[in-house]
Amino acid sequence: MSASQIIFYLISAFILGCGILAMTTRKIFRSAIWLLFSLVGVAALYFWMQVEFIAAVQIVVYVGGIVVLIIFSIFLTQQSGKEMPKPPLGRNIAAVLAVLFGFALTFLLINKYGFTDQGKAFDWSVNKIGTQMLNTGEQGFALPFEVVSILLLAAMVGCIVIAMRSKPEEK
Amino acid sequence: MAFLKKYFSNIFQAIRSLTTGMRITAGYALRHGKEKITQQYPDNKKTLVLPERFRGEVVLTHDENNEHACTGCTACELACPNGTIKIITKFDVSPEGKKKKALDTFIYHLELCTMCNLCIEACPTNAIRMAQTFEHSVFDRNKLTKKLNNPGSKIREGVE
Amino acid sequence: MPSLEHIANLVHDWLNAQFSPGLALFFEFFIIGVLIIGLFSILGLVLIMMERKVSAWMQLRLGPNRVGPKGMFQTVADTVKLIVKEGMTPDGVDKLLFNLAPFIVMIVAMVIMAPLMFAKNFQIWDINIGVFFITAISSLSVIGILMAGWASNNKYSLLGAMRSGAQIVSYELSAGFALLTIVILTGDLKISAIVNAQSDGWWIFKGHLPVWIAFVIFMIAVTAETNRAPFDMAEAESELTAGFHTEYSGMKFALFFLAEYVNIFVVCALGATLFLGGWQPLHFGTGTGFNRVMDYIPSSIWFAGKTFFLIFVIMWFRWTFPRLRIDQLLNLEWKYLLPISMFNLLLATLITIMGWHF
Repeated sequence: MSASQIIFYLISAFILGCGILAMTTRKIFRSAIWLLFSLVGVAALYFWMQVEFIAAVQIVVYVGGIVVLIIFSIFLTQQSGKEMPKPPLGRNIAAVLAVLFGFALTFLLINKYGFTDQGKAFDWSVNKIGTQMLNTGEQGFALPFEVVSILLLAAMVGCIVIAMRSKPEEK
Repeated sequence: MAFLKKYFSNIFQAIRSLTTGMRITAGYALRHGKEKITQQYPDNKKTLVLPERFRGEVVLTHDENNEHACTGCTACELACPNGTIKIITKFDVSPEGKKKKALDTFIYHLELCTMCNLCIEACPTNAIRMAQTFEHSVFDRNKLTKKLNNPGSKIREGVE
Repeated sequence: MPSLEHIANLVHDWLNAQFSPGLALFFEFFIIGVLIIGLFSILGLVLIMMERKVSAWMQLRLGPNRVGPKGMFQTVADTVKLIVKEGMTPDGVDKLLFNLAPFIVMIVAMVIMAPLMFAKNFQIWDINIGVFFITAISSLSVIGILMAGWASNNKYSLLGAMRSGAQIVSYELSAGFALLTIVILTGDLKISAIVNAQSDGWWIFKGHLPVWIAFVIFMIAVTAETNRAPFDMAEAESELTAGFHTEYSGMKFALFFLAEYVNIFVVCALGATLFLGGWQPLHFGTGTGFNRVMDYIPSSIWFAGKTFFLIFVIMWFRWTFPRLRIDQLLNLEWKYLLPISMFNLLLATLITIMGWHF
């Protein structure tokens, strides 16, 4: 086993371990922190694959954005410092079964079809990503990019409408 | 349009006031060698200069004839917010046989005093003032309760 | 005169001659780790001393002057005191997260060091997304602060952590836009490419108006991002005692303190790299005698000089301006800095497309 493979298995074990801890801990803030470590582990996996741009985006969006939002909402909830009650046994069994079935399905799929080597290295440079993103020609992503922008704009306008205080009526 | 004008004038005023502040601190930083306000206290005990209005402790001023100006009116005792001053009065009998209220003992609890200066402002005859001494540490708390009038002192002639 | 690049190459060659490539790489990692930790401790000592002296100068005081010549060993004495102090873990805190938080803050500060270019061709990792890497990793540092605030189980800590979170998340935007201005002008994210693009003049001279605006916005935003006064809402001692590190003592507190100063160093080094040309010496025109004199100064000195100048500017801010209120802080970001930096970005794009920069 080469050093590269050892690192891969270490990172994967870290991701899965943190994921399991995030599910099983009974303190909600710790759960968020384990989720965060799991996501950092995914970013580490991207770094291992040498797709640095995706790794950095993973950190900015998921770790710096979404998990911070989750933590903020935990801060603002009542009694979030208390330990949560143990889930009933039936639910535990169902959860374990669901996980086992998921594993079985994935394993069967991989076993049957396996991974095929495409034979060509994919180009991940930032320049390439940028030009592809705003390309209007063949296989360009200009239209999806703009549609997503409109979606985000709508979300932002919605936030402003919700947050805006209506002016008192003129008398 | 008026909004935009206000917006940009806000920015420029902010920049101007911030640079003013930074200029002043930079000026201080540049002449830090020449002007210092730090007193290196235990080292410069001999040459220490205290500001004129420094308040160390309350003293009753006596002149060279061992006379003070306190009439025993207790205005300072009433003015004191935390009971630092206790005035004990006596009655002097004048040669004509008239009784007159006078100071017997001026008790001052330094350990309670906050140096608020209210007693000095209350005194009608300017008998007490704030001294500039400040090294008040002692090993026994009782030493902080002081008798301010010297033994054998009496009121100055003409002070009513 | 041996440059840092020269020494690094010597060490690299020697290690490769002695050991197998894998082992040599391992030893190089080890040396880099030791060097970074050494740099951290030196930076902590020097910057805290510098902060005390600068504050003393600006307030016409003397500053520390008892320990060692001119008080230079004051911070060493403080460090010894913090090391021998008991690292208390109060009852009622979330013990795991409470003890983990200072290390998270510290590790983040260490990782950001990786793409910085300390001298000519002297860099740990010339990652091809350099600037973006720094912004991405620095967004992690808020997690350590939120963790510390939550785990302390203390209302001051929690409030401090929330303020700090809101502040860092919002000021990251305008800091990012300021960085983007330079990235647009250079056309590359790599730190080495950005520095090389400034060999014929620093961006602050070449890029004129948009770069000046971006530089000012960058300095304001990084002051806020590192939780320094006048934006130190997270610790605001008059309101929150000490904010998120109220419950910390001993070495754990020292780690927070050290991380604050290392973060200042990192953002100032970044600012020096992007706006002031990194290790590039100051040049006027081409081939003049002045330029040749400037070239004799080693590149590491140039880099350190620029970085420490920016650190001085940030300290100057701290000892001049009063602390902002939280609503003023958010107003400044969302109503002033963000719109201005957006328009500035458009202006920079226009100037780049038309080739109006020098």
